[in-house]
Amino acid sequence: MTAPSLPGERLPGERPTFRTLAPAPLLTAVLAACAVGGAVALAPGPVRVPLACGAAVGALLLTAAVAVAAHAVQTARITRRRLEAVTLDAGRLSQDQARQSAEFDQERVRLTEELTHEQARLTAELTRERAGLTASFTEERTRLTEENAEERARLTAENARLTERARRADQDRAAAVSATANAAGRMQALATGMLADLRAMEERHADEDVLADLLHLDHRTAQAGRLADSVAVLTGARSGRRWARPIAMESILRGAMGRISGYQRVRVHSASEAAVAGHAAEGVMHALAELLDNAATFSPPTAEVHVYVEEVPAGIIVSVEDSGLVMGEVQLRRAERAVSGDTDELGGLTGTRLGLAVVGRLARKYGLKVSYRPSARGGTGVLVLVPQDILVPHPYAERPQDALTLPEPPAPAAEQPQVSYDTHQAATDEDPDPVPSHEAADRSADTLPDGLPKRRRGRALAEAERERTRARAADSAAPEPRPAPAEDDALVRATRFNSFRQAVRGSAPDDRATPEPTVPAPHAHSHQEGDPTS
Amino acid sequence: MSRPGRDDSPDRLYTLTGGRAHAAPDSPFDLVTLVVAECDPGPGLQSEHATILRLTQLPTAVVELAAELKLPVGITKILLSDLLAAGRVSARHPRRTAASGVPDPDVLEQVLVGLRNL
Repeated sequence: MTAPSLPGERLPGERPTFRTLAPAPLLTAVLAACAVGGAVALAPGPVRVPLACGAAVGALLLTAAVAVAAHAVQTARITRRRLEAVTLDAGRLSQDQARQSAEFDQERVRLTEELTHEQARLTAELTRERAGLTASFTEERTRLTEENAEERARLTAENARLTERARRADQDRAAAVSATANAAGRMQALATGMLADLRAMEERHADEDVLADLLHLDHRTAQAGRLADSVAVLTGARSGRRWARPIAMESILRGAMGRISGYQRVRVHSASEAAVAGHAAEGVMHALAELLDNAATFSPPTAEVHVYVEEVPAGIIVSVEDSGLVMGEVQLRRAERAVSGDTDELGGLTGTRLGLAVVGRLARKYGLKVSYRPSARGGTGVLVLVPQDILVPHPYAERPQDALTLPEPPAPAAEQPQVSYDTHQAATDEDPDPVPSHEAADRSADTLPDGLPKRRRGRALAEAERERTRARAADSAAPEPRPAPAEDDALVRATRFNSFRQAVRGSAPDDRATPEPTVPAPHAHSHQEGDPTS
Repeated sequence: MSRPGRDDSPDRLYTLTGGRAHAAPDSPFDLVTLVVAECDPGPGLQSEHATILRLTQLPTAVVELAAELKLPVGITKILLSDLLAAGRVSARHPRRTAASGVPDPDVLEQVLVGLRNL
């Protein structure tokens, strides 16, 4: 038996190479060949040939076996080596894995720590930030609250101050308006008294030059009175005077004309017989005076202002037409707004623009309707509708009677020829501060001293007449001092005229010129007895 | 005089005459001039003119007219002048009365002529 040599140890490989496998079979073959040759050589001749053949076959088989064994050994060695290598690899891999595990663990721990740190840091930071923000927020809120409180206190104080100022302004305004109204009322009273005085003086002085001067003063005083009336109207005071009887349209227009400076340029075209009730007459007159004044002021100094009166079912339309400046659309609208009386404001008034505001107040008070339109005369036309409810249709049904009443006997001029008007007034005027108050002092005293019925405001004339008749029937025995019905008056006049003619002509009485009263009233003679002039 | 301004008219005197205070220089009116209407009061007249025309249907003296119109004589004269100029009234002087103490020269002259003719 031959031990397989292990030359392949030095060169381990995947598989047994020929070099590692060759020596053992070759050595075996050599030894077998030697053994066979020797055996053959030694063997007797006859057996040599079979021996040689059998030995040769055995030698070949041995060699083949040795070769297979060598190959197997070599393969086992290689496999064992590979196994060892694989084991080594597996161990190394296990170590690597473990090492990596450890590294991972370390890394994880480190990261966890870092995370924790970071978290803690962030938490701390957040907390600090929050604390800081909370603090600043609280501070800010406190500051804002304080500021708010301060502002509120300041505004409250301001509000109180402004309220106080507004209240004081209101008080001042009310006081000023009241004082103005009071002053205007006194000026009205003075103007009214002065006008009455002037009228009395005009009656007293026959000299034409004196009369002219008095008329001039009268005109000036009437204009001053209109200004006082305007102020009174604007301040809400009561209007200047109230007439105890209806005032005819003609007198209304003349009264309005008399209060403006340019009255001589006003031409009135009126055939109306209506009259304005006493309580509204002054207002209508004043409103017309303001409109006439506007028309006269805003037209050329030589141009005439025409006033037309027209009766319509709704009342009376007074149109004032001038040929002055044409008002533009805007001006017309503004004027209409002013005279509509819609606004109650005193603001926006200027000293020269009182008139339209006054007209507006009066229009609202008495229901007048005032409208503007361009005039056919080239200027501006104003239409004033005086409504029916302040009109009295036939106020002068009693007018002839009124006109024919006997005048009061004139005081003998010789009695007080040199007494000045002032001293004369001081003796007779028991009312030193003439306020035009027209409240009825006595309801029963409804007849004037000359026996005429006097219409109280708000009463029909017929009622006053009835009352007067009743009163006369009650004491018909007692002669009234100055009764003057129409029949009596005609009689008296005729008698007086007759005596006048007799005296003038110094001839026989002309009976033809003395119309005898045909139907003397039964009480006429008793009245005549009491009449000092008969 | 009771409370002033109570019952007088709203007409101011200067509005009745258009501001005139002097009658025309040739005005024939004095206090006793007799005035007679020449026409009836028509519509459209100033109310004082209408009243004058109504009052002077019979001859009436200026002073009487003034008293009944309750106007000063001067104003009445101006109104009458207007009416006279329009031909609505006529005016004539009354003869002087013996009672006035100054006989009319015409009468004296006639008396003188009559005496001479005796």
